[in-house]
Amino acid sequence: MSKRKQIAIYGKGGIGKSTTTSNLSAALSDLNYSVMQIGCDPKNDSTTTLRKGKPIPTVMDTVRSGSNKLDNLVFEGYNGVHCVEAGGPEPGVGCAGRGIIAAIELLDNNGIIDDIDPDIVIYDVLGDVVCGGFAIPIRQGIAEQVYTVTSSDYMAIYAVNNLFKGILKYSGSGGALLGGIIGNSISKISQKEMITDFSEKTETNVIEFVPRSSTVTKCELDGVTTIEGAPDSEQAEVYRQLARNVINNKDSYIPKPFEAQDLADWAASWINNLLKEEKIEHDGIRSGSGEGI
Amino acid sequence: MVENNLETAKETAVTDPSIHVIEAPRYSCALAGVYGTVLGLYDAVPLLHSGAGCGVGQLFGLLYGGGQNAGGDFGGTATPCSCLVEEHVIFGGENKLGNLVDSSIDLLNAELFVVISGCVPSLIGDDVDAVVGEFKDKAPVLHINAPGFKANSYEGYELFFEGLADQLLTEKPVKKGKVNILGVVPYQHIFWKGELKAIKDLLASIEIDANIIFTEYDTLEKLNDIPAAEYNVVVSPWNGHRAAKKLEDKFGTPFISFPGVPVGPKQTSEFLRELSKALNTYSDKVEKVIGKEERRSYRLLEYPGDAIILVRPHSYFAVAADSSTAVSLTKFLTNEIGYLPDIIQITDNPPEEFREAIVREITENLETGYSPDIIFEVDSHKIRENFKDRPFLFLFGSSLEGPIAMSDFGALSVTVAFPSYNRMVLVDNYVGYDGGARLVEHVVTTFAGPL
Ligand SMILES: Nc1ncnc2c1ncn2[C@@H]1O[C@H](COP(=O)(O)OP(=O)(O)OP(=O)(O)O)[C@@H](O)[C@H]1O
Ligand code: SF4
Ligand SMILES: [Mg+2]
Repeated sequence: MSKRKQIAIYGKGGIGKSTTTSNLSAALSDLNYSVMQIGCDPKNDSTTTLRKGKPIPTVMDTVRSGSNKLDNLVFEGYNGVHCVEAGGPEPGVGCAGRGIIAAIELLDNNGIIDDIDPDIVIYDVLGDVVCGGFAIPIRQGIAEQVYTVTSSDYMAIYAVNNLFKGILKYSGSGGALLGGIIGNSISKISQKEMITDFSEKTETNVIEFVPRSSTVTKCELDGVTTIEGAPDSEQAEVYRQLARNVINNKDSYIPKPFEAQDLADWAASWINNLLKEEKIEHDGIRSGSGEGI
Repeated sequence: MVENNLETAKETAVTDPSIHVIEAPRYSCALAGVYGTVLGLYDAVPLLHSGAGCGVGQLFGLLYGGGQNAGGDFGGTATPCSCLVEEHVIFGGENKLGNLVDSSIDLLNAELFVVISGCVPSLIGDDVDAVVGEFKDKAPVLHINAPGFKANSYEGYELFFEGLADQLLTEKPVKKGKVNILGVVPYQHIFWKGELKAIKDLLASIEIDANIIFTEYDTLEKLNDIPAAEYNVVVSPWNGHRAAKKLEDKFGTPFISFPGVPVGPKQTSEFLRELSKALNTYSDKVEKVIGKEERRSYRLLEYPGDAIILVRPHSYFAVAADSSTAVSLTKFLTNEIGYLPDIIQITDNPPEEFREAIVREITENLETGYSPDIIFEVDSHKIRENFKDRPFLFLFGSSLEGPIAMSDFGALSVTVAFPSYNRMVLVDNYVGYDGGARLVEHVVTTFAGPL
């Protein structure tokens, strides 16, 4: 690979960013790419399933200790994936946004990414873009492509729409553009349809749908990714397909986010569909169109 | 030249500093205001919870600007500071502050400690109240949250009193004839030290006991005595008003306000009459003091008569000063010296709700048919522009105008307002019966001589 690919994964809190990212990293490494995953989240739990459930010291720990030792920032995970956790303050203290900025500056200024020279760098960024700090990976020169993980929940899509606004804002000044939407925790056709419709309305695309699966949960409990823990499962194949799609995706978009009220109106029109399906499921009635996947 | 009145004054008014870029505003941030205020209290230690630059910046920006004064025992480079850096921005500065308060209380021999939070801890949400709370039984310690982005240094003065009332003061039995003096902001009002002492002496002459709070020892006692006052006396058209309101709400102390410190015989006599009437102590005795002092001071003002009337009679003058100073000096120069107010620029950005009263105070109390242009302006560039091509011969402003007054405006200048880098002020001030005479000394000295 000639040019390094740098991507950032955003999405509402708890939507499956870290799970998806870690599986993506693992799958890419299986495809013989050199991968670095950088968790941008003070919880520093992005890379745990790549490291058999074991946490690693964070970049912020180095900043906090005031030491100049920079050999303690990158840790090897599953199949040689380079794992970094930015880290940050304890909950309710200090400024996590500034922590992300400091961590990325430290990695950047000391040429740490260049030294390792991975083919792909993936930033797994905390929840919504709450302040300038969390927008850093999409500002000029860090990541060039953004992927956003969402379910069909309104609030998850709302967060995606906000992220689109952020991308739009920075797009004029060399910021990252959208690579695509990753639909996650999909269990019904109508959920796919809703996310697809959202992507069409915002002139974006869905790069992959990842089903909801108990295999993911089981592997997580064992402290590993699905790729590592259940490589022969259908779910692992989905993540491998996601990896291929990401590698091949050369397109980047400037999304066209909804205005807030328009988004609410759009979502309301979908609620009926979803409710109907739930009722069918609950009453044990199956119909041709509402088939599960 | 434009004949002006209230309407046009309002039209020309207002540069909103939150929208417009401004050059050299004549005040600083909230932290600076609290810092200067605490340094005005003897044996009180300001502890800056901020970046190291805040304190050093204010040493140059506020203390030197306030009449070339150093900060005293705990000012300038002697001020304890948590010196926050990026590490504290990310992880919080609470631990470092805790250590700082602890060691300051151990090391420094002082009566009061005031933690002043600047921009950084406010941005990251340090729980400073909790940190400070841990030391309350070791020493009297307050916390004033004063992020620079939230308010200016004049408001910092109010923040200090509001915090003081909430965190330290308790109700006290009212002592008759006792008043607190509010509205003179240390350093921002460059004559603060002399003005407060002059007001205290003046009131003592009619048996009113003034607690001037600043510039005296036994600070803790002075502060604790604040709720014992019969009245709070505010000597500014807007500074000290919030403080007085807070003390009224909390302790029921009524307040009376004057549009500025009293300068010269007329304002001083009125000040003494009004205040003694409010305190129900107005009597022949007060009139006797007034009569005696007026006679003495008007006799004194005859000496500069020739210099003024033969050399620079009925001169136009301009002012660029804070509201308090502008109001008092304009009234004195117009009503007692016979000078003509040409343009008055008010530089301390008073809140909107006070502006009309400030304009009225100047226009309605001038004993001349002539009414000045009154402009509220904080931008030094615009202040200079507004002064161009005007007839004034004297300029009462700051060291931002002084050095260029003759070359750019053809005027002689006296520095009377912040910043005062070209005039050291220790005891000088223009308050009281002698205050007017002192201003005349300074005016005549600009053109008298050389041989
Ligand atoms: N496709 C899936 N099938 C089943 N469970 C899933 C799936 N995706 C994510 N999960 C589960 O959802 C939970 C939250 O996922 P994860 O920690 O990856 O979310 P996140 O977006 O990174 O959260 P945060 O914002 O807190 O970092 C985890 O327990 C994970 O196992
Ligand atoms: S504005 Fe903020 S950073 Fe600047 S001196 Fe004031 S408190 Fe410090
Ligand atoms: Mg996560």
